[in-house]
Amino acid sequence: MIKMRWFVTGLMAAVMMLGGMSARAAETQIRMDGSTTVGPIAKALAEYYMDQNEGVSIVVGESGSGNGVRSLINKSAEIANMSRFMRASEFKACVEQEILPVAHVVALDGLAIIVHSSNPVSDLTLEQVRKIYKGEITNWNEVGGPDRRIVRVSRDTNSGTYETFSEVVMQKERIAAGTQYVNSNGQARDTVVNTPAAIAFVGLGFTERVKALKINGVEASNETVVSGDYPIARALYMFTDGYPELGSHVHRLLTLHLTQTGQRIIEAIGFVPVTRY
Amino acid sequence: MQLETRKLLDRAFSGLSVISVLLMAGALIIILGPMMIRGLDAFFFRGTTDWRIMMMQEFARGDIDAVEAERAAIWEVRRPVFEAIEKFEAEIEEGNVGREPGVPRALARIEAQAQYGRPLRDLKQHVRELLGPFPSDTPVMPRSKYGATRWDLALVHFQNVMYVEKYTHTDPTQMGALSYEPRSEQFVGTPVEEIFPYIEENLRAMMNPKFTFYPQFLTDSSRDANIFGGIWPEILGTTYLAIGAMVFAVPIGVIAAIYLVEYAGDNRFVRLLRSCVSTLAGVPSIVFGLFGLAFFINGIGVSTGRSVLAGSLTLALLVLPVIIRASEEAIRAVPKSYKEAALSLGASKWRTVLTVLLPAALPGILTGIIISLGRAAGETAPIIFTAAWALAPTLRPSQVLTEGTRALPWNIYNIATEHERVEFMRHIQFGMVFTLVTLVLSLNAIALFLRARISKRLRG
Amino acid sequence: MAEHSATNRIGRQTNLLLSARARLIRRILGLIGHTILILITSASALAVFFIFIYIGKDALPFFGIHVEYLWDGAADMLGGALGLLRGDVTGFRESLGEFAEAIGRFRDGLSFTYTRGRLTEFFTGIDWYPSREPGEFGAASIFVGSAMVTLGAIIFAVPVGVSAAVCLSDVLPFKLRQYTKPIIEVLAAIPSVAYGFFAAVVFGPQLLRRGGTLLEIPVWALGVPLTVIISVVLGDLLTSKVDLNKRRVAKTLVTILALCMFGAGLWWLGSAIRGLQFNSGQNALNASIILGIMALPTVVSVSEDALQAVGRDLRAGSYALGSTRAETMMRVVLPAASSGICAAVILGVMRAIGETMVVWMASGNALQPRADWFNFTLPVRTLTASIAADMGEADQVIGSQRYHVLFAMALALLSFCFVCNLISEWAVHRTRKKLAGE
Repeated sequence: MIKMRWFVTGLMAAVMMLGGMSARAAETQIRMDGSTTVGPIAKALAEYYMDQNEGVSIVVGESGSGNGVRSLINKSAEIANMSRFMRASEFKACVEQEILPVAHVVALDGLAIIVHSSNPVSDLTLEQVRKIYKGEITNWNEVGGPDRRIVRVSRDTNSGTYETFSEVVMQKERIAAGTQYVNSNGQARDTVVNTPAAIAFVGLGFTERVKALKINGVEASNETVVSGDYPIARALYMFTDGYPELGSHVHRLLTLHLTQTGQRIIEAIGFVPVTRY
Repeated sequence: MQLETRKLLDRAFSGLSVISVLLMAGALIIILGPMMIRGLDAFFFRGTTDWRIMMMQEFARGDIDAVEAERAAIWEVRRPVFEAIEKFEAEIEEGNVGREPGVPRALARIEAQAQYGRPLRDLKQHVRELLGPFPSDTPVMPRSKYGATRWDLALVHFQNVMYVEKYTHTDPTQMGALSYEPRSEQFVGTPVEEIFPYIEENLRAMMNPKFTFYPQFLTDSSRDANIFGGIWPEILGTTYLAIGAMVFAVPIGVIAAIYLVEYAGDNRFVRLLRSCVSTLAGVPSIVFGLFGLAFFINGIGVSTGRSVLAGSLTLALLVLPVIIRASEEAIRAVPKSYKEAALSLGASKWRTVLTVLLPAALPGILTGIIISLGRAAGETAPIIFTAAWALAPTLRPSQVLTEGTRALPWNIYNIATEHERVEFMRHIQFGMVFTLVTLVLSLNAIALFLRARISKRLRG
Repeated sequence: MAEHSATNRIGRQTNLLLSARARLIRRILGLIGHTILILITSASALAVFFIFIYIGKDALPFFGIHVEYLWDGAADMLGGALGLLRGDVTGFRESLGEFAEAIGRFRDGLSFTYTRGRLTEFFTGIDWYPSREPGEFGAASIFVGSAMVTLGAIIFAVPVGVSAAVCLSDVLPFKLRQYTKPIIEVLAAIPSVAYGFFAAVVFGPQLLRRGGTLLEIPVWALGVPLTVIISVVLGDLLTSKVDLNKRRVAKTLVTILALCMFGAGLWWLGSAIRGLQFNSGQNALNASIILGIMALPTVVSVSEDALQAVGRDLRAGSYALGSTRAETMMRVVLPAASSGICAAVILGVMRAIGETMVVWMASGNALQPRADWFNFTLPVRTLTASIAADMGEADQVIGSQRYHVLFAMALALLSFCFVCNLISEWAVHRTRKKLAGE
């Protein structure tokens, strides 16, 4: 038994030591917490930044916009990633704790309304989309398609994508019950790929293998989102406590998206950069 | 009833019960099978040249001269594809494509772009996925620096390069019919048309797939949101969390077991304590997660935000009942004669417990500890709000009190559902699940082995 | 020299008889040790207590019961009392005032109609729009969703689990039994996220693509032998009064007739199931099946314990009376172990209802309108998944209703599991008592 005990102790020590050895010496730590939609951007920017700057360690949490605000107030994160703007109540709570939230728009995101590629419908108005999700239009033949019951797919209510959709398209009206909620953009797309009669809304980067509908006759693309012609679009934010000190790592990280490299990163993961050089 | 019917019923009854055991075994095989087999994909696969280049550049692994030579050779095969496409693009830009004499260049350009612009953009995207960036690209993200790194992915991308999913909508009241159309049809009569048969013929030469064994999947850190590299930060984080949970749960659990077995009488208070232990065992794991958030972080503030410490404390509560029960059983299983002998030699009760009972019960207690170690390593819900980051650097032991970490269970969930490239990362996901399941099951195997030894010893 | 060492030895021996003082010290030490032991043992009780307090503290404000005001008031009061000890009378008076104020605020918040309205909405409302302003928190569909997947899991796990337990305790020879134990242990050990991953990535797409055919296989595999057995038994039972000479013919006739009838029924069932269409691979059925598999180990091991506890005597008695094994099990052992099996079922329910990752990944998270309740081919939303998914988005800073409602759900879950636990403990206790008494 004694042998066993030594073995276990040795194993633990070895694990600890390995951990210690493989860890880089980090001097500055930046913590980003919040939305799952902004998560990929944050992760990509963070990994690029860490790669370029020795001695900076960045952690990213993907737990929801609300959690981001909380972390900002608790000072357990320097940057709150949010896919919606801060609510008045949250803003107030911040100011009461002497946190002054400053918004940085890091990217734009259009919401594409997608259907199965075999669906002959290729153009809807915003009003029609709203009616579909309100449950007033339940069959594709009411919008000039085949006689099929519409399967509505929505992002989960805890996502920023959902909030944007409910604000811009639904105008705060209720999405009908019986709508299927999925956890992620990829899952929404997969559901549509596998379900001929489905309709869903996803970020612009997720329109592979499905058909993105024209809304009010405008095609969903990076160009139409930037120009503002495409109606269902939003900004993605990162919030900091006050404007970061110029030249600090937080500042450089938050302005990375304005550089040419930053734009490429944002485009590579399927979002629309704010600036174009 | 007649005797034969009763016999038949009896047989059927036995048969049914055996079937249900077989069903259980079947369920186990069906569940473990795909996870284990596809999990090996992360370790054994056919890596392409891009894989070796990626390994060289990101992890400085491999023979640099050999990789450079291979890269040069491969480049020779791939170049015609890139050149054909880029040349065609340039021609469109200059207005040379499809220009009839007399038509202004600007008009020809617009017409050619209307015809070829979109197909060309799609083609370029798929070629990039397969063969890597074009010479004119300046990729930033690791994912756009390399082509398909694995032969299985290469085949998928190859399919996408060669064929287009096409739906024909003849009748607007019917769903369209799917057909796969060769992509070359979009470029009939242009120089690009020729690259398709070229790619088809030279795919192997372009990718140069070689059997690869990648054990470093376990010890490498990850690149580009887990698209490349290994899962060391996750493994380490899980280890910290599980061991941390043990640090808190084992002393408390073992001492509680000693008390319950050796000291406690059978009064109301002790019954209440026992009942609390079983209540704790029945609390849903997500409630532990909420409690960890509300108590350890928001309540008494063991750390400002997520930390391994908070996660470990939460997990410790979760495994406490398991440890208490296992230790209780182990202490009870120690023959009475041991204790009586020690007491009759004049040892005090406490001394008896420390020097006789505990050592004798140690293997049993260890079994319980190992099983709960596995339990703590595999739990997800309690650490979502208390310890888990989606991206975090490898943690040093000195940071566990204040910093959160990545952890296998949470990151499995994260990259299996929320990642933007979910379907091209199945091998990583399965690899992670494989690792977690193997870890937990081998801990259980150790426990099983220990238990077998104990029962052997007790039988004499 | 030698003498000296001898006295020394004797001196040590005399230490066996302790002086009064030493005895006192020992006693005090023992008492302290005992207290420490009790305290450490109480850690789990404390944990349970704190879990209830902290979950409840954040759950009750949802119903308009702001316990934190009482909390504040008590703190004020305590501060004032401490001041009074130091002779600060005015401070104490002030704290009295503050205390009264806190009580007042608590009473203001506590409006019966509000609380009742909230309770009704929470448990019977079907409008779940937590992100609207103001939010709507009708969680009935979510409760139904949880009930559905749990029910599905139990329907699968209990028959399989109990008959597997019978197999392990009575049918298999001892040697084989040892080899089946690891199956149960491995099933219990696989982490829930791995089950969830399997359900979402492997099983879900299969269910979507060829769901009907997949489900048809077990129906036929189970249905055909069952049909044959039932027909034969019916044939026997219905002809038991027929004259012995004609009996064989009549029996065959009835059996064939029953076979045809049940066979047709089975055929109809099979084709109905084959025709099932799934719109999504992530649905209640998927989650139920996987949860059922996860609950199996609990059900099997607890009911096996119950069956073992029945003992040899009862079985031997039954065999001596000429019963077959099946009759012994069904008529004697299972009824005797019924409360233990009840405990197994309850523990299985607890395991299924408290599981998070599987339902989060595999159940589809859709809120079903009342018309679609208990339709297993559709996605459902469950309590645990709602908590896990919505927690990140709820305003944790100011403690909005959306935050509190999740704690209210957790409290509901917790209370349910607590009650279940009490029942199962009582059931186990009863079995033990009953079997010991007989």
